[in-house]
Amino acid sequence: MRNLLTFIIRNSSWLVAIVLIVFSFHLLFSYNSYQRSVYLSSANNVTGWFYETSNKATTFIHLSKNNKLLLERNAQLESELYSLKTHLQDMQMDTLTTNAFLSDSIPVSQFSFIPAEVTNVSFSGPNNFITVNKGSLHGVKPDMGVVSQNGVVGVVLTVSPKFSVIIPIINPKFRLSGKLKNSNNTGSISWDGKDLNVAQIGELPKHEVFQPGDTVLTSFSRIFPKDIVIGYVIGQIPSKDDNFNTLNVRIATDFYSVRDIHIIDDKYYDEQKQLENSIP
Amino acid sequence: MKAIPLFKEILWFVILVLLQVLLFNRITVFGVAVPILYIYFLIKLPYGRNRFYVIISGFLMGLVIDAFLNTPGMNAAATTIVAALRSIILNLFYPKNEYENLIPGIHTSAAAFIKFTVTMVLLHQTLLFFIEAFTFFNFTSTMIRIGSSSLLTIVLILALDSLVIRREKTSG
Repeated sequence: MRNLLTFIIRNSSWLVAIVLIVFSFHLLFSYNSYQRSVYLSSANNVTGWFYETSNKATTFIHLSKNNKLLLERNAQLESELYSLKTHLQDMQMDTLTTNAFLSDSIPVSQFSFIPAEVTNVSFSGPNNFITVNKGSLHGVKPDMGVVSQNGVVGVVLTVSPKFSVIIPIINPKFRLSGKLKNSNNTGSISWDGKDLNVAQIGELPKHEVFQPGDTVLTSFSRIFPKDIVIGYVIGQIPSKDDNFNTLNVRIATDFYSVRDIHIIDDKYYDEQKQLENSIP
Repeated sequence: MKAIPLFKEILWFVILVLLQVLLFNRITVFGVAVPILYIYFLIKLPYGRNRFYVIISGFLMGLVIDAFLNTPGMNAAATTIVAALRSIILNLFYPKNEYENLIPGIHTSAAAFIKFTVTMVLLHQTLLFFIEAFTFFNFTSTMIRIGSSSLLTIVLILALDSLVIRREKTSG
């Protein structure tokens, strides 16, 4: 006890210094947000390191146990695979049953895509056109639909052997039926010639509920498959018509930057067209 | 301790605080070097001064500077550490002294005083800037700031010391 007292007395100046330094740091961390933030985050780093290290160690300890579990699971799967294999073999002996199970899993698709690259665009006036580097030699025919990775681009207008001209959405002559994603009422997509990024969907019934940002999709069309994105609703245009709404639609395809497009080849197009035309 | 030296020390204390917060803290040379001269107070305390006195006055000096500069604890911590280590540093450069009241100064022993000043200032600035940065992230820039600020401070302290002594000599 006496030694302790002497020790304290002899080193009292150091003790005072330590107390004062601790007090200073207390002030530092209490009233300086920067130092506090660094102190807290470095503390977290340190504790985080401890947790990580201990976690690594425990993982290593449990390694053999986990290995055993994996081996057991492996054996289980192995035996399951074997029994399934034998089952399959049994089935294949009997062709009739096998065919019943192994149905034609890849049906012939109605649509195939011809990839093409944009070679020229003319966006100067209202009569806009896009030229692409695939033509009749590659199987492109007039009235085929054209899409980019974002959405609808337009429709093939004319073809030459190596090129074809596309009439895009942003051409006043372009017409396409579209619908809002969560509804079945179709409207008609057109372009008013003002903004290259904004088209209009008209002839939507008044009772149709919409929100800005709603997706506009293709609906019944001879040209496009169903449910391809055309654009996204921006807002309503005040219309004089009492029965129909017209909405502004931001076109999904960016016509300024579109380069790679796909031309849609509909295998049943001719058949459908013939049938419909046969009606007098 | 006589009354006159105490009064003189208090006066120095006040003058150094005012100089630091009103003048030196507004000087930034090349965007990195800031003269931090209030440590001169600790340098100029007499050789045999009581450790408590040194430590507490150092702490108070730091605290007052902090109060003016809005950095609670930063200067106080650095200055208290320097004050606590002062006697050890002093013993490194001044041989065990028979004069209790020797005041380190450029006129008594220039070489020892310069070494003592350099050590004190470097220690103080290193502590101060690392407490301020509180990370080793921008290590190079912190080192540049410490080096340039120390150099500036040392030059100013030596100039101030020789100036004060000359005035005392001419007046006295």
